[in-house]
Amino acid sequence: MAQIVPLAAAVADLIHDGDTVALEGFTHLIPFAAGHEIIRQRRTDLTLVRMTPDVIFDQLIGMGCARKLVFSWGGNPGVGSLHRFRDAVEAGWPRPLELEEHSHAGMANRYVAGASGLPFAVLRGYVGTDLVAQTSTIKPITCPFTGEVLTAVPALRPDVTVIHAQRADRAGNVQLWGIVGVQKEAVLAAQRSLVTVEEVVDTLDPRPGAVVLPTWAVTAVAVVPGGAHPSYAQGYSVRDNDFYVAWDAISRDRETFLAWMRANVLEVGRDH
Amino acid sequence: MSPAPADRAEICVVACAEAFRGNGEILGAPIGIVPIIGARLARATFEPDLLLTDGEAHLVYGTWPVGEPPSGATEGWLPYRAVFDVVWSGRRHVIMTPSQIDSYGNTNISAIGDYARPTVQLLGVRGAPGNAVSHPTSYWVPKHSRRVFVPRVDSVSGVGWDNARKAGPAATEFMDLRVVITDLGVFDWETETRQMRIRSVHPGVTVDEVLAATGFPLIVGDEVPTTREPDETELRLIREVIDPHGARYREVKV
Repeated sequence: MAQIVPLAAAVADLIHDGDTVALEGFTHLIPFAAGHEIIRQRRTDLTLVRMTPDVIFDQLIGMGCARKLVFSWGGNPGVGSLHRFRDAVEAGWPRPLELEEHSHAGMANRYVAGASGLPFAVLRGYVGTDLVAQTSTIKPITCPFTGEVLTAVPALRPDVTVIHAQRADRAGNVQLWGIVGVQKEAVLAAQRSLVTVEEVVDTLDPRPGAVVLPTWAVTAVAVVPGGAHPSYAQGYSVRDNDFYVAWDAISRDRETFLAWMRANVLEVGRDH
Repeated sequence: MSPAPADRAEICVVACAEAFRGNGEILGAPIGIVPIIGARLARATFEPDLLLTDGEAHLVYGTWPVGEPPSGATEGWLPYRAVFDVVWSGRRHVIMTPSQIDSYGNTNISAIGDYARPTVQLLGVRGAPGNAVSHPTSYWVPKHSRRVFVPRVDSVSGVGWDNARKAGPAATEFMDLRVVITDLGVFDWETETRQMRIRSVHPGVTVDEVLAATGFPLIVGDEVPTTREPDETELRLIREVIDPHGARYREVKV
């Protein structure tokens, strides 16, 4: 049964130093506001998990929240590199960042295994690539029926999964639609989950292609309108493309980055 | 009045379009401006059944300019979570841009230098470890150079023929590397050795120029064909319909 609580209280309660924290949402519904609250509460030593780490992960990494990153693509979508991510990997600033690199399919299958209560998933990918030697969570496995040697990847079971959705009802059932990624599997695989929503409504009327997460699968819901900015929430807001472009210059330089984070995240009580 | 002759960027567009010839009703997944223009050109002309997205989650019919919203009818819904259904059934042909590629078609998009402490951390392997072993895969290199065409990639993100052979049937069963298209020519792999060969050089490019820009020996046939030029219909589609603002020149300078 999900509790509807303020964002700061939810982060304080659910996310602890050293936790494995997944933040999912693809193209839109990216949980920026929750990420900012993690930064404001100075969480550290996190293992951050995300299929497609973008600007919010650049901010978390640059602020020293992360010890390790589990991912398959890390970039500023449509713009280029993540400079804070690169600085952490290439130069160890502000701290070294351990990488656990997987393919998109490997990440998705790991969530599915976690959500299914299975210890691992099987896929055809990775065979012949150097990732098999580089990533310890990729192992060969022999099919018991055909003898074919495939790849096993262990289940992902985050301590906490954080997503943003369009809305919840008063009982804490969550509904999201538009481009959906692996949010459902990521939430079901986690020990605890936090969902920020645009609004709480009386009734969740059906939407084509929507994913509904029942209240018993969700730990906390926090109402944060615009909580996906600069990404968007289909039906509620549009993508702030200019911000993604601007982030390239803001994030190139360590001091400029820190000044921006102070002014726009640390010293604001609540997110834009 | 006949149109001005095709320039190098337009030759590359048509070479990318040709990569999709005969593909039929599968998802074309061109990544990069020139491959996107090429895929739309292929569908508008000789490959009408190709499925293409609006760059997000809709499969859309019709022919519309790059950088603008689609004008055609929506014919399908393919959100991120559903893409694997297409990948794993082999119904997709991707064109990716590698940061490094070697003679056997191993590609690197992960890290330059030592993997544990790279000099350049790239964007990550993305779909590459699954693409090459699941469905047709081609590559687009906007600037053919020894920085990209290396004797040995620093890290194998997408498997090439030699490593796939070593890895066994799980890698080779559905492996289908098609072509590499660059600003200098089109390349594929010799059947016996599986080493890269020049399939054609673009008009105005010499074989020596290609060899000098490649960090490994290429297989060169007795007669190297010239990449075909677009016809008038194709030129009109590129210049007036698909890329009226010249986005192709951001990738291929002329």
